[in-house]
Amino acid sequence: MSSKPYIFRIASLILCVSLGLMLFRGIAALPVTEKVTGPASHYLARTAGETGARNVVGAILFDYRAFDTLGESTVIFTAVCGIAMLFSRRKFHRSSRGLSFIAKRGIGIMVPFLLMYASVIILFGHLSPGGGFQGGTIFATVTVLLCVVFGSSFESQYFPPRTKDILESGGALLFSGIGLIGLAAGTGFLSNIAAGFPAGTFGSFLSAGSVPILNVAVGMKVGAGLSTIFYSMIKMLDAGHDHREGGGIE
Amino acid sequence: MILLSYATAVIIFCIGLYTIMIRRNLFKTVLGLALMESAVLLIIVSSGYIPGGVPPIAPFSGPAVNPLPHAFTLTAIVIGASDIALALAFIVKLHRHYRTVDLDRIRGLRG
Amino acid sequence: MTLVLAIMVPLLSAFLVPLFHLARKTLSVGLIGIMGLASISAALAAAHTGWYSPAVSLLGGWAPDIGIALVGDRLSSAFLLMTAIGSGAALACALEKFGGGPWRFYALFFLMLGSMNGILLTGDLFNLFVFYEIFSVAAYLMVAFSMSWQALEAGLKYLVLGTIGALFILLGTAFTFMATGVLNMALLAEALASIPRETLTAISACLVLGLTIKTGAFPVHFWLPDAHSSAQTAVSALLSGVLIKVSIYALMRVCYIFFLGTNGAVFLAITVIGSFSVLGGHLMALRQDDIKRLLAYSTVAQIGYILIGIGCASAAGAAAAVFHAFNHMLMKMGLFITAGNLSEEKGTREICGLTGLWKSHPLWVSAFAVLSASIVGIPPFNGFMSKWFIILSSAGAGTVIPALVIAAGTVISAAYYLRVLSAFISPDEGSSYDLPPYVPRKPRRRSVSFAIVGSFALLCLVLGVMPFSPIFREYFSSIGQTAVDVEAYVGLVTGR
Repeated sequence: MSSKPYIFRIASLILCVSLGLMLFRGIAALPVTEKVTGPASHYLARTAGETGARNVVGAILFDYRAFDTLGESTVIFTAVCGIAMLFSRRKFHRSSRGLSFIAKRGIGIMVPFLLMYASVIILFGHLSPGGGFQGGTIFATVTVLLCVVFGSSFESQYFPPRTKDILESGGALLFSGIGLIGLAAGTGFLSNIAAGFPAGTFGSFLSAGSVPILNVAVGMKVGAGLSTIFYSMIKMLDAGHDHREGGGIE
Repeated sequence: MILLSYATAVIIFCIGLYTIMIRRNLFKTVLGLALMESAVLLIIVSSGYIPGGVPPIAPFSGPAVNPLPHAFTLTAIVIGASDIALALAFIVKLHRHYRTVDLDRIRGLRG
Repeated sequence: MTLVLAIMVPLLSAFLVPLFHLARKTLSVGLIGIMGLASISAALAAAHTGWYSPAVSLLGGWAPDIGIALVGDRLSSAFLLMTAIGSGAALACALEKFGGGPWRFYALFFLMLGSMNGILLTGDLFNLFVFYEIFSVAAYLMVAFSMSWQALEAGLKYLVLGTIGALFILLGTAFTFMATGVLNMALLAEALASIPRETLTAISACLVLGLTIKTGAFPVHFWLPDAHSSAQTAVSALLSGVLIKVSIYALMRVCYIFFLGTNGAVFLAITVIGSFSVLGGHLMALRQDDIKRLLAYSTVAQIGYILIGIGCASAAGAAAAVFHAFNHMLMKMGLFITAGNLSEEKGTREICGLTGLWKSHPLWVSAFAVLSASIVGIPPFNGFMSKWFIILSSAGAGTVIPALVIAAGTVISAAYYLRVLSAFISPDEGSSYDLPPYVPRKPRRRSVSFAIVGSFALLCLVLGVMPFSPIFREYFSSIGQTAVDVEAYVGLVTGR
C-alpha cells in the first residue's frame, strides 16, 4: 500500500491549480451574456414554425441536431454490448429471494403507475420537459426495482434478456429507418417536416412530425440498454455469491 | 454572479483530475472521472444562463434561456454515464481476479 | 448522400448483428463478409465523392449553423481510403481467425467502423466528440475482447486515460461554444479570430491535450503499449494501423482549421510533442523483450514523425504527414499480423524465443524483413520517402532539431528491428525456453493473412517508387493544400 511520493503530490497539485487558473481566466475573459445570440436565437424564434414542437430542447435533440442523438444512443448501445460481453462467461445460478412481503406488495402497486409515468414522459417529450432519455431511464428503474424487490430471476422472467436485445436493436433500427426516409425523400438524413412528416396542430399530442417517433425509439433503446447493464452486473454478483468467492463488491 | 458558478465548476474539475492523479484506489479513480464530467456539464449548463430567463417551452412568457446547452448536457450525461458504467464493469471484473482495487497490487496498471 | 451512407451502413450492420444472432446462434462468415463489403464500399464511395467533387451533406436539411453538416474533402477522402483498406484487412484476418462465432466482436467492429467514418466526415465540433466516444468505447472493448487479465487491465487503463482525453475535448468544445455560440467548424474558423486571447489559450490547451491523449503521443502514451500489445492480433493491427490515424486526422483537422491563423504556438507544441515521441518511443522500444510491445512502442515513435509533419503548419508538412500515416498503416498492420502469427506458432512472444523461423516460415520472415526495412527507412521503400518529405518540410519551417531527432530515431529503430530479424534467422536451439508452449488447437490456414501481409509489403515497395511520378506528387500535395486551405473549407461549407 505504498503511496506516491510527497514530491509527486505537490507536482500534481501545482499542475491542477495552474490548469484551473488558466481555465478560469479563459472563462472570465468572456463578456457576460445578457441575451441569447447566434443559432440558439434561431431555435427560440423558429422552433414552433419549423418543427411543430413546443419543447425547444426536444426539438433540438430530435430534429435540428438529431444526428448527435443517434450517436449518443449508439454510445449506450456500444457500452451495453461491451458490458454484456464482459460478463457473458458467468452463468446465472440463482437469485436472491427478494425483500419482505410489504415491500413486494408496495412495489406491486407502484409499478403500473411508474410505467404510466415513463410512457407519459416519453410520449409528451415534444410538448413538455422530458423525452426518450428521461422516460427510458424510468423504464430501466422499474426493472431495477423489480430485480431488487422480487429477485433477479423474477425480473428475467418478465423481461427476458432476449426481449431487451430485440427492443434495443429495434429502437436503433427505428431511429435509423426514420432517418433513411428523409434521405429517400431527398431532403437530407433525419429531416422531419421537410420529408413529409405531418406537423399537426401546434401543441396537440399528434404534432411535430417525427419527433415523437424518435422519442419512442430512443426510449426503447435507453430503457432496454440500461436495464441490460444492471442485469448483467447483478447476475455476476449473484453468481459470485453462489461460488462462495466472497460477498461480491463491498 | 454567474462567474461563481464557473469558478465552482473549474474547482470541481481540478479536484477530479487531482484525485485521478494521486489516488491509488480504482473506485476513487472512477469517482474522479465522474467529478470531472459533472464539472464540464456544470460549465455547459451555466453557459445557457440568461438573467431572468424562462424555460424554453413555447410559448415563452419572457426571455427564454439558451436551449442549446441543455441539449448538449443531455447528450453528454448519457455518454458520461456509459463511460462510467463501463469503467465500473471493468473494475468488477478485475476485482474478481485480484480481490483488490488497489492500483499498486494490480500488476499492469502501475505507472 | 454517399457521405451519410458511409456512416449509416456500418452502423445499421452493427444494429442488425444482434438480431441475426438471436435468429440463428452462429453468424455465417458470408453474412459478416457481405456487411463488411457493403460498409467498405460505402466508405470508398464517400472517399470518391470527396476527392473528385468535395461535398457538404446537410443533415435534416438545416443550414450549417443550426444543424449538423457532413463535409467530405480531399483530406477526409485520403483518410477514408486509409481506414477502408485497413479495416477491410483487419476484418479479413478476424474472420479467418474467429469465424462467425463472436458476434459481439463484429457488432463492435461495425460500430467502430461507422464512428471512424463519422469522425472523418463530420463538420461539427460537438458531433466530433459524440463520434469520438462511440469510437473510443468500441476501442476499449476491443482491447479487452480476449478477456485475459492483461487485456482487461489494458482496457481499463485505456478507458481511464481515454475518458480524461474525451473530457478535455468536451471542455474545449464547451469553451468554444461559450465564446462564439456556434459549433460548426467552418463558422468557428471565422469566429475564433475575434475572441479574447485568454479564452483562445484555454481552448487550444484543452483541445490539443485531449486529442494528444487520444493519439497516444509520448508524455501521455501510457495506455498505448499495453492496449496494443495485449489485444488479439487482428485487433492490434486495427488499433495500431487505423485507430491512431483517425485521431491524427482529428488533431490535424481541428488544429489547422482553428489555430492556423489564430494561435501559432499550438504548432510549436505539436512539434515538441512529436520530437519527444520519436525519441521516447524508440528508446522504450529498444528495451522491450516482448515483440508486440516492441511494435507498440515503435508506433509511439511513428506517431511522433506524423506530429512533426503536422507541426510544420505548411501544405508540404501536412502532405508528408498524411503520406507517412498511410505508410505506417501498411507497415505496422503487416508487422503486427506477421508478429502475431509467428508468435502464436512458437507459443511465445519473447523475442529470444522466436528462433529458427527462417527455416520453417521463409515467406513470413521475408515479408517481415521487407516491412521492417521500410519502417526503419531504407531507401527504396516508402518509409524512407515519407520520412524524407517530413525532414524536408520541417527544415523548410525553419528548425533543424526535428530533422536531427528523426535521423537519430532512425538509427535506434534500425538497432531493434535488426535484433528481431537476427532472432528470426538464427537457428532453433530446440525448446530452450521453459515457458509452457501454447498448443494451437488445430493447424490453422492463414492464407488470407499472408495474402494481406504480402500485398502490404508489395505496396510498400510500390509506394517507395511512386513519389518519383509527378502525378502522384501532385495528388499528395493537393491533400496538403486542402488541409491548410481554411478559406476553401469555409467556402465549401457556407456556400460562399
